[in-house]
Amino acid sequence: MDIFSGLMLGLSTATTLSNFAYCFVGVLLGTAVGVLPGVGPIATISMLLPFTFGLPVDTAMIMLAGIFYGSQYGGSTTAILMNLPGEASSVVTTLDGHEMAKQGKAGRALAAAAIGSFFAGSVGTLFIVIAAPLLASLALTFGPAEYFSLIVLGLITSMVLTSGSLLTAFGMALFGILLGMIGTDINSGAARYTFGSPNLLDGLDFVVVATGIFGLGDVLANLENESNRMAGVARVSSLFPTREDWKRMVMPILRGTGIGVLLGVLPGAGVLLASFSAYALEKKVSRHPEEFGKGAIEGVAAPEAANNAAAQTCFIPMLTLGLPGTATMALMIGALVVQGVQPGPEILSQQPALFWGLIVSMWIGNLMLLFLNLPLVGIWAKLISVPYHFLFPMICVFTTIGVYSISNSVFDVYMMALFGALGYFFKKVGAEPAPLVLALILGPMAEEYLRRALLISQGDASVFFTSPLSLGTLIVAGLLLLSIISPRFRKVREEGLQEVD
Amino acid sequence: MNRREFIVLGSTAAVLASGKIALAETWPSKPVTVISAYPPGGTSDIITRLVADMLTAKYGQQFVVENHAGAAGAIAGGRLTRSAADGYTFMISGSAPIAANKVVQKNLAYDPQVDFTPISVIAESPALLSGSPNAPAKSIQELIAYAKANPGKLNIGNPGAGTKGHIAAALIGQIAGVEINHIPYKGSPPLLADLLGGHIDFALDAPSNYLPHIHDNKIHGIAVTSAKRLPELPDVQTVAEQGLEGYEQTLWFGAVGPKDMPADIVNKIYEAIKEWSGTPEATAKLKTLGLTRVASSPEEMSGIMTREIDSIRPLVEAGLVQPT
Repeated sequence: MDIFSGLMLGLSTATTLSNFAYCFVGVLLGTAVGVLPGVGPIATISMLLPFTFGLPVDTAMIMLAGIFYGSQYGGSTTAILMNLPGEASSVVTTLDGHEMAKQGKAGRALAAAAIGSFFAGSVGTLFIVIAAPLLASLALTFGPAEYFSLIVLGLITSMVLTSGSLLTAFGMALFGILLGMIGTDINSGAARYTFGSPNLLDGLDFVVVATGIFGLGDVLANLENESNRMAGVARVSSLFPTREDWKRMVMPILRGTGIGVLLGVLPGAGVLLASFSAYALEKKVSRHPEEFGKGAIEGVAAPEAANNAAAQTCFIPMLTLGLPGTATMALMIGALVVQGVQPGPEILSQQPALFWGLIVSMWIGNLMLLFLNLPLVGIWAKLISVPYHFLFPMICVFTTIGVYSISNSVFDVYMMALFGALGYFFKKVGAEPAPLVLALILGPMAEEYLRRALLISQGDASVFFTSPLSLGTLIVAGLLLLSIISPRFRKVREEGLQEVD
Repeated sequence: MNRREFIVLGSTAAVLASGKIALAETWPSKPVTVISAYPPGGTSDIITRLVADMLTAKYGQQFVVENHAGAAGAIAGGRLTRSAADGYTFMISGSAPIAANKVVQKNLAYDPQVDFTPISVIAESPALLSGSPNAPAKSIQELIAYAKANPGKLNIGNPGAGTKGHIAAALIGQIAGVEINHIPYKGSPPLLADLLGGHIDFALDAPSNYLPHIHDNKIHGIAVTSAKRLPELPDVQTVAEQGLEGYEQTLWFGAVGPKDMPADIVNKIYEAIKEWSGTPEATAKLKTLGLTRVASSPEEMSGIMTREIDSIRPLVEAGLVQPT
């Protein structure tokens, strides 16, 4: 199927009344959870996953995807108006966005964020159209060795890019891999780390761990700050950027989009890295770097464009290789498998309506988000003032129902509570949970491919270095690690991540 | 992952309160979970979904398929033994988790002959040995010659330890006296992908996923394990035709419930499978997948399981079939 007829099929799929409506519900929910600090897309998608099982697969995916990229828009609103990042990826936006708001330029900052996001989202979608079929046709050249190397790269990337010490990130990833080993060995059927409990034979459900750490853990952490959480909400002034604003934000949006598109495809990098790198780049190339942190519109437009572009393009490895680069993408794979669709290169030929419908819906969703976020920004600002003591009981109830309904198991609910406590502990000691969650997903996959690659080569580990694709990937991963050890880069990383903190 | 269960939480409570006998009379009064032991898209999963769709249409109640792939179906089998025997959970799978793995997987968490209630063997098919575009052999004799010339170098992929693909390959190795490395996969789709990409040279598996690619000349059929050739692949000779006389291996797909599943529900599912698989549409559909209808009764299935386990035991004792 060529791109044009694909897009036509996508258009007819995405514009059916129910798909259109669910796309709207998705982006609306996404904006809401993006705006609300303490409720993220991972927790929301986990909670809603069981509700989508009754929907057709394209409708379910369109809605879940909408929640994810919608939250990228919503996150910036809170960041600009309240200096509170609604989403991890909008942390950078607080730096200049809230400064602009304090100077009475909140409307213009919001507009810069929304316009940048819309442009980047559209380009990101276009990039999927071109790159996904290409990668799918290349997917067959990925054998066990190549997959393993790619996963190693993803794990290393996620460690290097986490704030805090590298050693902590390494420890978290290792812990995640160990947690991933719990359950039945995929080749021999032997029980591992189950301590005789039949409940652990299936392994830890990723949704249980993720909702525990991100849902309950955040609730616990937020309750601690409840009394001083109510920061002032800046007033929204004119939403129209001035001519000077336009001039200053065009190039940053373009550069941010470029960075986001590329980093979104890299497994393990995700949206956070995209926004952070875009901000750092703008500061480097700017002729007046001293304005950054004091309300430079470039510092809003570029990272917002980058995180939105990445939010689109991180679907590419998930759909075409079945490789989840982020925790959210792992949830999407779960949603697909439940519907009887195996993500992978065949998805384009076997589920063309799903694939193209999803892409077109992303563009429609981005357009909806532009309107949802600019003219209606006042409503979202009100939503922030909903007291947390109304919000958190609801979060607790929905996460519990969501986790229980995965396999009607009370054990899972206890597990979630345990990981909620762990999530709170991680927050207290400043250990970022992202590498843990990614390692929990990628660890078992890495093991499967490692064992298979070594079985096929009869135990000869040189396969990882004789395949050019695998060697190249490992070299990139090695350089990434080396760069951390090099004192010069280390300084840059620490400075950069400190700014974000 | 259980689905739609949340929506029916209320009715679940009501049903549980009404007790087992009332349950059976009105079965199915809520969605039924059908565990699929392999990943979506493989032959076992296709059959599972065909049967689930048929039962959904027949009873007007959702029969929801859940995939629990891994360890050649042992993860799904373990899950089945831990679910309630109320007739609202059963499993459809290839023979490995229902029979073979009792002897192949030393650490299996259940005994299929004790912990399962047989429902019906739905269909059977031969296994198909296929080769990647650059495979070093295009026939069984070439394969054996290659294995003899390169000891320890012959890799054959299968959809999991104890699956018929694994056992059929081990038998070829035993009869021909050559060493074979068995490479387990999670199911047919990932094995097919590696075969198409040339990352593995040979695969021994249920035919359905491979048929379209053989017709497109992307991979080639080397041999079928049945006594007769497969109508869908008239040019592909049987293993016996290629010199391994008397060789015959059949793989089957069946439905089982947990221990103590109510007999009347077992019979309802069996009768529905029997009736459906006898229709011309179902027969034609099965044929395109390289499958033949069996529709055995629960008692017959119990015998099939016993015979399967007894036939594999000597191979395991000889050290030919082991998880890798």
